[in-house]
Amino acid sequence: MMGQLPLLGRIAARHLAGRRRQTLVAVSGVAVGVGFFLAVSAMMIGSQNDFIKTLIDAAPHIIISDELRSPHPQPGVEVHKGAAIDLRHYKVRNEVRGLRGWPEILRAVNAQPGAIGSPSLTGAITLRSGGREEALTVIGVDPSVEEKVSSVADKLRTGHLRDLESTQGGIIIGEEMAQRLGLGMGDVVGATSASGKSRSMRIVGLFKRGQSQLGPSAGYVLLREAQSLLGRPFIVNRIGVHLDDPYGAQPVARRLEMRFSYKAESWQERSADFLSLLVTRNVIMYSVVSAILLVASFGIYTVVSNSVTDKRRDIAIMRSIGFSERDLQLIFVFEGLALALIGIFAGWLLGYGLMAILGSLKFPIAGDNQYLPLDRSPRQYAIAAAASLLSGVIAAWLPARKAAKVDPVDILRGAV
Amino acid sequence: MNAILEAGGLSRNLPGTPPVSLVTDVSLAIQPASFVAIVGPSGCGKSSLLYLLGLLDRPSSGSLRFQERDMNSLDGDERAQIRLANFGFVFQFHFLLPEFTALENVLLPMRRLGRLPLPDARAKAAALLTEVGLGAKMDKTPDRLSGGERQRVAIARAIANDPVLVLGDEPTGNLDSQNSARVVEMFRALAHDQGRAVVCVTHDPDVAAAADVQISMLDGRISGTDVRR
Ligand SMILES: Nc1ncnc2c1ncn2[C@@H]1O[C@H](COP(=O)(O)OP(=O)(O)OP(=O)(O)O)[C@@H](O)[C@H]1O
Ligand SMILES: [Mg+2]
Repeated sequence: MMGQLPLLGRIAARHLAGRRRQTLVAVSGVAVGVGFFLAVSAMMIGSQNDFIKTLIDAAPHIIISDELRSPHPQPGVEVHKGAAIDLRHYKVRNEVRGLRGWPEILRAVNAQPGAIGSPSLTGAITLRSGGREEALTVIGVDPSVEEKVSSVADKLRTGHLRDLESTQGGIIIGEEMAQRLGLGMGDVVGATSASGKSRSMRIVGLFKRGQSQLGPSAGYVLLREAQSLLGRPFIVNRIGVHLDDPYGAQPVARRLEMRFSYKAESWQERSADFLSLLVTRNVIMYSVVSAILLVASFGIYTVVSNSVTDKRRDIAIMRSIGFSERDLQLIFVFEGLALALIGIFAGWLLGYGLMAILGSLKFPIAGDNQYLPLDRSPRQYAIAAAASLLSGVIAAWLPARKAAKVDPVDILRGAV
Repeated sequence: MNAILEAGGLSRNLPGTPPVSLVTDVSLAIQPASFVAIVGPSGCGKSSLLYLLGLLDRPSSGSLRFQERDMNSLDGDERAQIRLANFGFVFQFHFLLPEFTALENVLLPMRRLGRLPLPDARAKAAALLTEVGLGAKMDKTPDRLSGGERQRVAIARAIANDPVLVLGDEPTGNLDSQNSARVVEMFRALAHDQGRAVVCVTHDPDVAAAADVQISMLDGRISGTDVRR
């Protein structure tokens, strides 16, 4: 049986060579389908990856904050476990804001494999300079640890996070705020907190504009600087956690929350609405792409179907010579296969070219030249090829069955 | 000598109201190395009988034995295999594959059978074409050949796999008298020199005259058998 395949393939090739124009159209259909699939999916997946990376890196992978999702159980409920006790209108004791026992939480975080925790204290202060005032959310961090946990360092236009350590009273603020206060690098600014404490600070770094996750009115100082300025010594109200595997954030967050009852929010939970948006995007992309491939397979169907009709006489000849029904069916399936393969190869080249063009486009955004994020993984080439091959073979197989059913006697009678 | 092909009470009807009888109760035996002509008026069922004998069609009733094997019990693939290895067909119209050269057309049954390695098959196809006087034209496609030349290519292709039975349906029907005479001579040689059985449906008195046995048909039945040798 296998020995027949090259012969059947040759016959298929001769048939196609005899109908060049239709062959070209069908091949172009597949090529355009594959090419645009590659270009579109490169953009969609590329931007999705970029977007997810942004989501992941926007903030620490897990944020443990000094919030409780539900109040502590009341002593009465604790004592009589399972009893039908329903307390209402009791007064919830106000938590002293801040993570109680945070060093222990931090130790627990760092004990997780691949995890680093960075404690911080956030509070509101006011910056004053030359009669101008601006409200600032100040975040006190330990620069050497915070660098590992968040991408803050990448967002600096000038200066380094570590400069907070080397400069007494150093502060990093956004470019916009500096502009509003009429200040630049190295300038001194007055800071006042709600607790009434006041001191002068020196600007050691500036954030780039348009860092929406950071907010235009956030600033960084040393953790102990924030604690003393806000009048909350030794207090930490947030622990940011970085994981080597960000996709494992959810179970880790759940475990930490179970253990310490403070709210531990993973990046997935934080961005649940965006992630569900991505699912919709993918559904749209794959349905458009399937439609393109389906249309491409119509071309193959047309060519093979016409070929079967035109070659009824040849089919009768081959059947009388002693070719089997299966042989005839295979000849026409091979025609579709050949169209699909040539189309796939041409489509790969087309897709490669389109990606090269898309990849070279520059978009000036906020003063930086940005390029389209493209996913050029071979996986997409393989998916496009597999889908086209499958739809091409099915499109050829349907009319090929008719070839097998041609009765040579009908043709011979008609011809004589 | 044992008959190579034996039909017993062979009938073929087309279902319908009323049913059409193409062939009715035909019994015959074809001997090796004999040239048999089937003659009769147009529409009497000669072609229909030939399709039955050549395993291209199945009888409605009756038996058909090739080399003492019952042919009715075989499935389509087995019958195709028997045609491939043992039968050769020549039709009124040349019936060559238009995209293939004369040589490739002759090679086709050999490659499908796969008994000979390709170089040997090529050499044999070339020899067959030279034998039918087309040694210089084997690389031409059918549209570059005359009607007589195409028919000779068809004959070369029919005997490519050394069939024991060659079946012709008015093989000279489309040829002038000179080309007809040539084809008749070839058929005679296939039977007498090469020992094949040749069964040929014909209107041509010259073909009928050259045959060893002449079977006459009328209305789907055999009306007479004339053995000359
Ligand atoms: N599909 C069909 N439906 C109805 N009648 C048919 C069909 N095919 C053949 N016939 C009839 O069957 C009869 C036998 O046909 P067949 O082709 O075998 O005759 P033939 O002897 O070969 O004639 P010719 O010498 O003209 O080739 C004819 O009368 C023909 O009209
Ligand atoms: Mg006839």
